[in-house]
Amino acid sequence: MTGASSGAGHPALETRALSLSFGGLKAVSEFSLAVPVGGLCGLIGPNGAGKTTVFNLLTGVYRPDEGEVLLGGVRVDGRKPSYIARCGMARTFQNIRLFGELSVLDNVMTAGGVRTRSGLFRTLLRTPLHVAEERALAERALALLDVLGIAHRRDEQAKSLPYGDQRRLEIARALATEPRVLLLDEPVAGMNTQEKRAMRALIQSLREQFGVSILLIEHDMGLVMEICEQITVIDHGVTIARGAPAQIQNDPAVIEAYLGVPDDAAAAAGPEGAA
Amino acid sequence: MDDVLETTINTLAVGGLYALIALGYTLVYGILRFINFAHSDVVAWGGWLALSIAGVFGWTAAGGAPAIAVPVVLVLTMAVCAAMGVTIERLAYRPLRKAPRLNVLITAIGVSLLLQNVGILDGVFGNKPDTIRPLLANSVLGEVGAVQLRLYDLMTIAVTIALVVGLERLVYGTRMGRAMRAVSHDERTAALMGIDVNRVITVTFAIGSALAAAGGILFALRNDLRLTADASWVLLGLKAFVAAVVGGIGNVRGAAAGALLIAFVEVFVHRYVGAVFADKPWVSQLQDIYVFGILILVLLFKPSGLLGKAAVEKV
Repeated sequence: MTGASSGAGHPALETRALSLSFGGLKAVSEFSLAVPVGGLCGLIGPNGAGKTTVFNLLTGVYRPDEGEVLLGGVRVDGRKPSYIARCGMARTFQNIRLFGELSVLDNVMTAGGVRTRSGLFRTLLRTPLHVAEERALAERALALLDVLGIAHRRDEQAKSLPYGDQRRLEIARALATEPRVLLLDEPVAGMNTQEKRAMRALIQSLREQFGVSILLIEHDMGLVMEICEQITVIDHGVTIARGAPAQIQNDPAVIEAYLGVPDDAAAAAGPEGAA
Repeated sequence: MDDVLETTINTLAVGGLYALIALGYTLVYGILRFINFAHSDVVAWGGWLALSIAGVFGWTAAGGAPAIAVPVVLVLTMAVCAAMGVTIERLAYRPLRKAPRLNVLITAIGVSLLLQNVGILDGVFGNKPDTIRPLLANSVLGEVGAVQLRLYDLMTIAVTIALVVGLERLVYGTRMGRAMRAVSHDERTAALMGIDVNRVITVTFAIGSALAAAGGILFALRNDLRLTADASWVLLGLKAFVAAVVGGIGNVRGAAAGALLIAFVEVFVHRYVGAVFADKPWVSQLQDIYVFGILILVLLFKPSGLLGKAAVEKV
């Protein structure tokens, strides 16, 4: 599947046998994945399976013990998070992590600032270049807020936004870094059906509108099965299944990981067999 | 009436001085959550470096300095101290970025002692007090009633306002300021949004140390240059630190407000309470006690400072 749908020959995001241990505990083990350019892939697994740890490995928060992370065919593992972000990897957080004290607009502009050219002295002196860049930055940030439907809240403090809008703002902030790959960590967690429906439409539209490839962590199976082209399932850091939604839904290993082993099967396998 | 005007001018001048220094404490605390105890020594070095720089230009004799002497010395000293602050951060604090706060705090005290004692070496600034007053005579610019408007006071107020307004614009109106606020709020998330945290910290130390240099020069003009190991620098730093805490540490506007309050207490107590208890001179001699008394009151009743927000413990 590697590079199957990639124009330049490289997947937008690829990992090769990523492993990470905390002390003696193997949090992620030989995790391999490829998100094709323009693809929308899902990463699922029971609580504590290591999904967010994978995101932390991808974005440089954790350094993998082994394995590689490639962004558009270029290795970025071992680099600083800010470098990886500049290479085109952006993320949102399961527990929303906005800059709460900053305004909505400033949150987005903060992330957009990484691609501007004027340095500190130009900033202090307010050269025409800096002023022009600031204006362009603000306009772009506003356009993003508009796409996410929260432009009318631009001057409010980020922490005062309702929950759903905070999730939208996180996505706007991530998009402001002009990513090639967008990592969404439980984008619909805690949302009601109506909000979920709106978010689903939004996620799908992001691909065309911004040309991003998306990797999604989500517990809402309905959403994942509907919008993802390919799903990877991990449990205890180990990849237990991978494939199209229909395949995953009927995969015995996945069902076992989520629901546990049926009683009679567990009895037949003996005490060691019951995971 | 004259009294009120004079004490007001004094309050603004002294408060401005404290504010310049308090901003350094509060900026660094806002970003790194630690008190840079070496900050008052950067102030002292600022005063002494100004003397050295004036010496290079041959401006150390009384009346020998041109009108541009002070601006030139001020800017150069601020630049040198900015580089000094950045170096201190790079060598002493950055290697401890992931260490417990206490380690960094103790290191800061170590840096402070180092600067104090290197400063009094013969080849550095020496162990005799000196003065930078030849740079600029404290002339009387005018009179309002019986109150003389002196150059040092007005200059201190003007320089402080210019620098504080500049800082305010930087923090709240520019990309670097946004990055600073973002890092202050959540360093890790800021990094994930592509912000180079190390660069932000470097800039923070540069700005804080440059402001400290300005404070050091203005203090030295008013009080002469004591040895770098002299306790008066530490006391100055301590009061500025109190100002930052009283205003709400980590808060730029709070630092300025706290500085004015501290200066107000100091100047007015000295002037009015001292006059009421004229037969008991110790009452006004205890002005430092009142300053630190304010600190205790603020910590008791509004621990997050006058303009600070109640800290929410992150879990």
